[in-house]
Amino acid sequence: MNDEILRVENLRTTFTTSAGEVKAVDGVSFTVKRGEVLGIAGESGSGKSATMLSIMGLLGEAGRAEYGRLDFMGENLTPESVKSLRGDKIAMVFQDPMTSLNPVLSVGYQLEESLRRHNWQGNIHERVAEMMTRVGIVPAAERMRHYPHEFSGGQRQRLMIAMSILCGPELLIADEPTTALDVTVQAQILGLLREIRRDSGMSMILITHDLGVIAGEADRVIVMYGGRVMEEGTAREIFGSPMHPYTRGLLRSVPKPDSPRERLIPIEGQPPDLLNPPEGCPFVKRCNEAMRICLHRKPEALTLSETHKYSCWLGVKD
Amino acid sequence: MLKVEELTKHFHTSSGTVHSVDGISLTVSKGETLGLVGESGCGKTTTGRTIIRLYEPDSGHIIFGGHDITHITQREMLPFRKRLQMIFQDPYASLNPRMTAGDIIREPMTIHRIPKDEHSDRVNHLLKLVGLNTEQAGRYPHEFSGGQRQRIGIARALAAEPEMIICDEPISALDVSIQAQIVNMLEDLQKSLGLTYLFIAHDLSMVRHISTRVAVMYLGSIVETAPSDELYTNPLHPYTVSLLSSVPIPDPEKSSQRKIIPLKGEIPSAINQPSGCKFHTRCPNAKPECESLAPVLQDKGNNHFCACPFV
Repeated sequence: MNDEILRVENLRTTFTTSAGEVKAVDGVSFTVKRGEVLGIAGESGSGKSATMLSIMGLLGEAGRAEYGRLDFMGENLTPESVKSLRGDKIAMVFQDPMTSLNPVLSVGYQLEESLRRHNWQGNIHERVAEMMTRVGIVPAAERMRHYPHEFSGGQRQRLMIAMSILCGPELLIADEPTTALDVTVQAQILGLLREIRRDSGMSMILITHDLGVIAGEADRVIVMYGGRVMEEGTAREIFGSPMHPYTRGLLRSVPKPDSPRERLIPIEGQPPDLLNPPEGCPFVKRCNEAMRICLHRKPEALTLSETHKYSCWLGVKD
Repeated sequence: MLKVEELTKHFHTSSGTVHSVDGISLTVSKGETLGLVGESGCGKTTTGRTIIRLYEPDSGHIIFGGHDITHITQREMLPFRKRLQMIFQDPYASLNPRMTAGDIIREPMTIHRIPKDEHSDRVNHLLKLVGLNTEQAGRYPHEFSGGQRQRIGIARALAAEPEMIICDEPISALDVSIQAQIVNMLEDLQKSLGLTYLFIAHDLSMVRHISTRVAVMYLGSIVETAPSDELYTNPLHPYTVSLLSSVPIPDPEKSSQRKIIPLKGEIPSAINQPSGCKFHTRCPNAKPECESLAPVLQDKGNNHFCACPFV
């Protein structure tokens, strides 16, 4: 299918730590279509960031990724080919814009350097000025001479977005892009990303723990827990008719827009222990509908509609 | 329970004076939760810390339980510390890593001279009260998850048997599924122990959920205060209106229907604050007179106060 930008099949990522082997991602599969926003929702330890670092080949020495298939725009993605695509056709924006910029170099230099590294055919200075203007950092010619500390948190995130779209990427991976920002600035940044997508047709993977941000931005959503995909569907399916006990629990943990004072129903227990994961479903220890089989066997994904799938033994008819 | 009048706290730095808290007044009645919201740098955390005298106030009055505690010595403050406790945002940094959970919870009992023979029973009681088990008393902070650590912080605050707790962003460092556990627990403790809370946070939907009344801060000043539901359904101040319109809604349909009222730019520096109404530089409805006219909170009925003369 040519409208498929990214296809990930059976991704497994492990980290070697002093305490033992950590299975951060355990058999994750998904696709991203042209122009769409795929939201990845999950809490700490869900494997949402490790999934993206695996795809981008940024795991570092302690991490190892294996996969059944990894295709970008119909081409097989190898550790070598991803290097040339990174920052070019696939771009990333991270949570913390302060640590992503070099404090002792002017932002103009850093953006220009990024274009040089990708052998940009054209006027580098003009392209940087154009993209800085695009994200609202003006007057660009003057602001290019400034250093990262001379920008506010929101402006630094705008700069990171400018840097990520310099080469006109097909896919932007945004990992908690607004988590460090205030809500009014968050609204500005999300609005900016929406405009850029509308103008360029770029696809986006939006990784966040904030269900409100996912609901506002994502076309489709995958919900991760303990390194596995618990549920996948359109935003309407996930928020309107969630099926997995974890998804339902997550939505009950936040105040309801219609009855904000209603008592919350938390998910009891603690986040997953990745060093000693359960043999079966990673959510089993916190699930109040768990059955005996959930302890020992991992459930397969059940298909509800062309778009809606969830992995839970509750849905399996015997 | 708590009355704050014209409280001011400035910090002097090499680049100028930071007007963190600039003459704010608020009251918190017994048994209620006052939510204090605003964006980073608005002075909400400084307000909490100044009220509990972790910072020395520059001017104004802090009246707790009928006593003026603004300028009393730290020794005189001790009995009030017993009655007014605080829990912090970061459950990683606010617990001493070299003390066991039991010792952390026991420490306030020693400070406030609670008879030693009662300590162990009370530690066990508090651990159970916050949903931990008594076998965990001998463990160190790093052996607990973030949510469990916040439970230890709450048990420590309760150890002195306070009447009021200042909760400074108690859930923002926690995962969504754990936040609800802590919020429910705070609500239960409030009911069973008759606690009063000042709940400082930037998560506006959680603040609406937990608070009786809410005060909105902008650049060191309170711009609006009202009963929780009234504030969220009928915000008056242009800043509150914009702030609430920016809160993400976990519902794709509602989210696509609502209109975000964007703010221009970002929060100005607390060193060179705008003249007149501090919000005029970003206000969508600013008028020329807003540059010189410093607004005060006006009664708009329904216990709703707003510092904008044009609404």
